[in-house]
Amino acid sequence: MKRTTGAVAIASAAALLLSACGDTADTADEPTTAAEDDAAAEDDTATETEDAAAGDDAAATSEGAAPAASDGTSLVIWADDLRAAALEDVAATFEEETGVPVTLQVVANENLREQFKDSVGAGAGPDIAVGAHDWLGELVQNNVVAPVQLSSDLAGQFTPESVEAFTYEGQTYGVPYSVESLALIRNTALAPELPASMEALVETGQQLVADGEAELVMAQELGQEGNAYSMYPYLAAYGGGIFPVLEEGGFDSTEVIIDSEETVQGGEKIAWLAEEEALSVSIDASNAIPQFVEESTAFLVSGPWAIQQITEAGIDYEITSMPDFEDGGETTPFLGVQGFYVSAESQNPQIAQTFVQEYVSRADVQVSLYEAGDRPPALVEAYDQVSQGNTDIEAWGQAAEGGTPMPNIPQMNAVWGPLGKATADIATGDDPAERLATAQSEVEAAL
Amino acid sequence: MSQTVADPPRSGPPQDPHVSEVAHTPVWVTVTRWVLIALTIGVLAYAAQQAIEAGAWLIVIVVAFIAMSVLVVYSTRRFIPLKYLLPGLILLLLFQMWPIVYTAATAFTNYGDGHTLSKEEAISAIQAQSVRQDPDAPRYGMSVAVPEGATVQNGELSLLLTVPPAEDAGELEEGAEEGIGAAELGENVTADGFQLFVGTEEGLEPLAAEGVEVRGNGTIGAAPGYRVLNLMEANQRAQEVQDFAVPVGEDGAAVKPATTSQAFVGQPTISYDEENDVMVTAEGKRYVAQDGNFVPEDGQGAVLPAGWTENVGFDNFLTIFTDPTFRGGFLKIFLWNLAFPLLSVASTFILGMLLALLFNDPRLKGKGIYRSLLILPYALPIFVTGLVWAAMFNQQFGLINEVTGLNVNWLGDPWAARAALLITNLWLGFPYMFLITTGALQSIPNDVKEAAAVDGAGPVRTLVSVTMPLLLVAVGPLLVASFAFNFNNFTLIYLVTKGGPFDSGNSLVGNTDLLINFAYRLALESGQPNIGLASAVSIVIFMLVGAISYIGFRQSAALEEVN
Repeated sequence: MKRTTGAVAIASAAALLLSACGDTADTADEPTTAAEDDAAAEDDTATETEDAAAGDDAAATSEGAAPAASDGTSLVIWADDLRAAALEDVAATFEEETGVPVTLQVVANENLREQFKDSVGAGAGPDIAVGAHDWLGELVQNNVVAPVQLSSDLAGQFTPESVEAFTYEGQTYGVPYSVESLALIRNTALAPELPASMEALVETGQQLVADGEAELVMAQELGQEGNAYSMYPYLAAYGGGIFPVLEEGGFDSTEVIIDSEETVQGGEKIAWLAEEEALSVSIDASNAIPQFVEESTAFLVSGPWAIQQITEAGIDYEITSMPDFEDGGETTPFLGVQGFYVSAESQNPQIAQTFVQEYVSRADVQVSLYEAGDRPPALVEAYDQVSQGNTDIEAWGQAAEGGTPMPNIPQMNAVWGPLGKATADIATGDDPAERLATAQSEVEAAL
Repeated sequence: MSQTVADPPRSGPPQDPHVSEVAHTPVWVTVTRWVLIALTIGVLAYAAQQAIEAGAWLIVIVVAFIAMSVLVVYSTRRFIPLKYLLPGLILLLLFQMWPIVYTAATAFTNYGDGHTLSKEEAISAIQAQSVRQDPDAPRYGMSVAVPEGATVQNGELSLLLTVPPAEDAGELEEGAEEGIGAAELGENVTADGFQLFVGTEEGLEPLAAEGVEVRGNGTIGAAPGYRVLNLMEANQRAQEVQDFAVPVGEDGAAVKPATTSQAFVGQPTISYDEENDVMVTAEGKRYVAQDGNFVPEDGQGAVLPAGWTENVGFDNFLTIFTDPTFRGGFLKIFLWNLAFPLLSVASTFILGMLLALLFNDPRLKGKGIYRSLLILPYALPIFVTGLVWAAMFNQQFGLINEVTGLNVNWLGDPWAARAALLITNLWLGFPYMFLITTGALQSIPNDVKEAAAVDGAGPVRTLVSVTMPLLLVAVGPLLVASFAFNFNNFTLIYLVTKGGPFDSGNSLVGNTDLLINFAYRLALESGQPNIGLASAVSIVIFMLVGAISYIGFRQSAALEEVN
């Protein structure tokens, strides 16, 4: 234990020192390293552009890249390992066409949001970061991201929900590239028939358990602390949810409807599903997908991130939208949109904007990003291209269709916890109406 | 420092220390010393240079101070004790005192999410974020240029702008070569139908089409009288270009760069009225500065997103002691925070000691193997074992319920969760206690035990009256240290229960939260991470741990005096 204490002490001391004087130290370091990188890249770029100029005149001049050596310029992009790999070709193209060297930096997905926020706040950080749309409110609040002025032509080429997801208080702050949502993944060997409703799903699942073919009716993340994202399709099934949906799209975040009649009706469905043993607080992020992979259950409600493990296990599966309830409740999952943010502290603001507006929006780029993440592209042209003959992507696209993006206001951080805990309590037997009323007052207090 | 006063008389004739120094020290030592001093100063000077460039004056001052101390202390023979102490002293100040001072300073601010900027930054951020694109205005092709003959760095910037031909003009283009150039559209239109402009800070002027080269992407590649900057050159002045606005129209609309090759027409929809310290929107809605945010004067609608850091005095401490959720939660957490380390230390110590006594018996064979096996839990990283234990406590699929046949909701019931943590910590912690008691037991001389046996004491009496007191003298301070460690055992709680389960309606205070986990949730995981408040909680924890440790060490010192 003592050894650990020492390690913790050193780590925390280092962390504190970094946070204490790191802001300024970082800015001091950043230009130097960038300059060094460039010095190394300089020769390559110069020859490259010269070659390009000699070989293909149009390509070299189209972006105004005369055969000049770069001077303290490098576009730094942060992305997680999957996306960084997918961006390599795009980066190479960009480098070739503009002469601007691109540095791709891999940052672990779970740290990206925090590190992006902290480092830009300290005046450093990347020019561009790849992340989810629901970070937006928080990033705007701390002046981490710069507006992206999409031309209306360009904005029209994306699915409307995906652009809306990156819009905060009327301003657009990012360029979307993929859309994801929850859907039903079914083991076609165990359950060949697509259940027509949630009720039918539960029945089939219970039958499989009774026959000893499966151990669980269904696997869906819930966990001891609950999971508002995972349970939202049910809560919103009868028109309830967290905030009322506006007719023109988006949410009206001034009103909380967690204790509304419609939400309570959805909450009762959660209680019912738990009663029928389709939902359980024992199933959380660590074991939901493994249960399906081990064929302990025929049904999994999850997102595109589950597919890799499932295909690796060699399971025959089909993706469909989540079934609805027989009494008319329509399960409505949240949409998550991934996209490119431009840092408010970028040293190369116009180049960064060029990258996100003129390269990320290209169909070939969106297709290569799709290949890395298996999520349907946000650009309509790219989606049409990849969904041809790819049933998975078509199904994900259908599951996302007409869905509403997760609210991107910073206050959502204050909703996830209380509402999540309410869903866990409802699943363990609390009265939905009472428990959602408590959650409502807690959320209202926090907003 | 008292030594320094006493030093001079001892270290030779005070009137001329240098003579004596040269006389007694070999040349190479002096040379090496000065080279080392010079190197240190050189490195520090480089660091200071970097800090100056970054405008970090605090760092410059600290570095200068360190450089001076190094020079003063190591260049003469006056401060011999300080020569040994200085490195440690500097590290102590930098790594221990500075974080404490910094945390304490933060505790009196509202620093946290939405309050990370200075007020000036917040004002400019709000204005920058409020720039809205005019959807009807054309999107310009844009090149950045300086006057011909001027340098890239200093030339006055202007934007060379193009408006592409309207789409329905496509047919015109072929048949109307005679029409376009001269009569119809003026001389700022190229043969392809591009309209050309020059944008400066004063406004938009037409640019004569003669001699202008328009590139494939619709931007101007060359124009007489201008030097068109390429991407890299323009990027040297990226910040100026970013702030560049070509005013068009009267209501503040301007042509602004969108990318390296496009410009848009837009205008800020919020302006700052410095006199009254209010933000005013285009529609005339006023936002007044209040508590680190601009809030609507009429109370309707949301606050403006970007806020700033400001001093809040003792507000954070007041919140801790007066807010009912906090006060109730704090007390509950504090009680558990006392019970958890006490029970952990007691249980691990008892188990560790019993095993140590057992394995200390000379009759036992293969002690080496047993001992190394027992150390295993201690050797495995907690990030693995913690998560494994959390999975084992799963009610439905966990190993523990499966093996014991119980159906305990380990992580969902407050008391079961507390027990789960104590069990996990027992497993993690007993090897350490086993190690230290084994060591201490081996240092207890056999003759005292023999003396006890001669006096007629049985094994139990020997253990209680002879072995234990001697053992506690040795391990007492370690038990206090272990208590202090477990008092802040953030990792274990975070990995196994995340502080949960939570009472319904209170997702801020978990049933197994330690104060440090509570502070972490406040700082990073709650809705609006509030670093200022979390710093205040940290300071309270600091005081508590300090007080408890003080009492603890006094107690263990008292034990020492008995013997």
